[in-house]
Amino acid sequence: MTPLLSVRNLSVSFATPRGVARAVDDVSFDLLPGETLALVGESGCGKTVTALSLLKLIPEPPGRTDPRSRVEYAGTNVLALGGEALRQVRGGQIAMVFQEPTTSLNPVLTVGSQIAETVRAHRETDRAGARERAVGMMRLAGIPEPEERYGSYPHQLSGGLKQRIMIAIALSCEPRILIADEPTTALDVTIQAQIIELLSDLRKRLGLAVLLISHDLGLVAGIADRVAVMYAGRIVEEATTADLFARPRHPYTEGLLQAAPRVDRPQAALAAIPGSVPSATAWPSGCRFHPRCPHAWDRCIREEPGLLQAGATRSSRCWLVVEPERRRPATTAVTGTA
Amino acid sequence: MSAPAQSPRVSTDILVEIDRLVKEFPVERGLLATRDVLRAVNDVSLALRRGEILGLVGESGSGKTTLGRCAIRLIQPTDGRVMFEGTDLATLSARDLRRFRRRMQLVFQDPSGSLNPRMKVGDAVREPIEVHDIARGSRARARVAELFGEVGLDPSYVDRYPHELSGGQRQRVGIARALSVEPQFVVLDEPVSALDVSVQAQVLNLLSDLRRRHALTYLFVAHDLAVVRHVADRVAVMYLGRIMELADASVLYQRPSHPYTRALLSAAPVPDPTAKRERIVLSGDPPSPVHPPSGCPFHTRCFHPRKDARCVEERPELRPITAGQSTACHYADQW
Repeated sequence: MTPLLSVRNLSVSFATPRGVARAVDDVSFDLLPGETLALVGESGCGKTVTALSLLKLIPEPPGRTDPRSRVEYAGTNVLALGGEALRQVRGGQIAMVFQEPTTSLNPVLTVGSQIAETVRAHRETDRAGARERAVGMMRLAGIPEPEERYGSYPHQLSGGLKQRIMIAIALSCEPRILIADEPTTALDVTIQAQIIELLSDLRKRLGLAVLLISHDLGLVAGIADRVAVMYAGRIVEEATTADLFARPRHPYTEGLLQAAPRVDRPQAALAAIPGSVPSATAWPSGCRFHPRCPHAWDRCIREEPGLLQAGATRSSRCWLVVEPERRRPATTAVTGTA
Repeated sequence: MSAPAQSPRVSTDILVEIDRLVKEFPVERGLLATRDVLRAVNDVSLALRRGEILGLVGESGSGKTTLGRCAIRLIQPTDGRVMFEGTDLATLSARDLRRFRRRMQLVFQDPSGSLNPRMKVGDAVREPIEVHDIARGSRARARVAELFGEVGLDPSYVDRYPHELSGGQRQRVGIARALSVEPQFVVLDEPVSALDVSVQAQVLNLLSDLRRRHALTYLFVAHDLAVVRHVADRVAVMYLGRIMELADASVLYQRPSHPYTRALLSAAPVPDPTAKRERIVLSGDPPSPVHPPSGCPFHTRCFHPRKDARCVEERPELRPITAGQSTACHYADQW
């Protein structure tokens, strides 16, 4: 299948007082039509910077996107676009929903007018038409009594309703791709379940491709078709959701799965990953995960593996793919820190 | 390391007893400043057994944090009592309360917000030791080094400032600070919510170890049901200021009997795409705690097939359903 969006060699760095932070380093992936691809990782892994840079939303400076980076959409490199052409892609073709609806909405405008404004930015329509479309989008996003809520201000709505408004805004111009950056992280678990259900339903109905950015493996397991795991600015593993959870091939993915407490079954001990995520101004040599990896050997310290093919539809940035005999037996729980 | 079955020190001996506790906050709204009352905790009774970890779960606005703070009298309840080893905390003089403070401590969610950014973390841990006259000077410093070792921090970190530490390390400092006065009872308010999953597991394992080593009693306040399952011996589920269900963890997670508990468990994501689970998506938002519904606080979102007019009119009391399980639902035993 031809990818809808092709990201190639995306590298984004930031100038900081402590040096250059290589937040995203040579990241490549494809998003296929109609699929949900999840970018998962912990804080500082580069997943949000990746999402933002796809639409050129990283302020430069202090950010800097490497000129070799490409984001191919419909035959053009989005990163080379500017002005009106970029505006048409942003929101019109590729839309985005952010984690915190409260800070993404304008507090002094009614939520309805904010949807209508987006409609008018991308479509030839009069006020009445934009309003009608906005109300329709609110209904589509599952907002009860949309005509009444059109005139509400953001502070009058709950977190869940505000996120529904954000989704209505994002989808109001019929984009083909939705980038959802931690769309439910600020919400309570019962509201999260509602928003996830809404997103899955809309994806099917509208034939959207979704790039989901999340730290929550549980959430990802429930909705993604494919998963790319990020660590220290790199994609370290990529696989279908079923393969990744059934048999993780990168020790980091494995560590994350073992460290996550499960609500559905009792567990004896959590196998924590020792240490913490390194700083983006000083990634470790060789494999960036080696200081925390239970299997690391001298090669891992010296030489960084590429994304090695580990099956027909999966890859892992780990030397264990080619030297599986180096694997050590299971480790014990960690309470100390590195 | 922390399977509830391995908690031999849990007894039926009560350390902290919360009795019909109410906490109200005034809410002012509009230009005319009409006063409403938000009843964050509404008539809650709960007893913590010596040596247990009681998980207190609920969503935002459920009152779990307020209850945790009342339990160690960080804030004063509007009504009701908190008894610590049989002593009513409200009857204590300021001086006596200060002596009691040593015995109950709080660990906050956000270690960067609870540590003074301009104080070295070693000094932050030493301060309570000196305030409570436990040790001074070099003996206090030796105690700090010992505490650092105990929470898995390199003792050389005493001279660092909070911003020089990672989130997990800062939370270890917060735990060391709470333990520095040798408490019996610790309220942990979302102690791992701000941490990434790899680091969260380290801190959870640490908290379990410390409980065992020091025979501590925890009130573990959290929104994450998976985290609570992993650490708690018993679990109380709160909704709109009230306890909906209180049960042994093993019972609650296997046979939840309150519809709200069932919905919460079903909504909690599981990192396994093949897991077969009950799927309940509640409709609507939780009602405002300023104007809670009549009858059962959960009736506006309840999906129980037996839900009827009684639920709207009559508030169900928390009552025993099975051994080790109490539920505030008229139809908890009629699924």
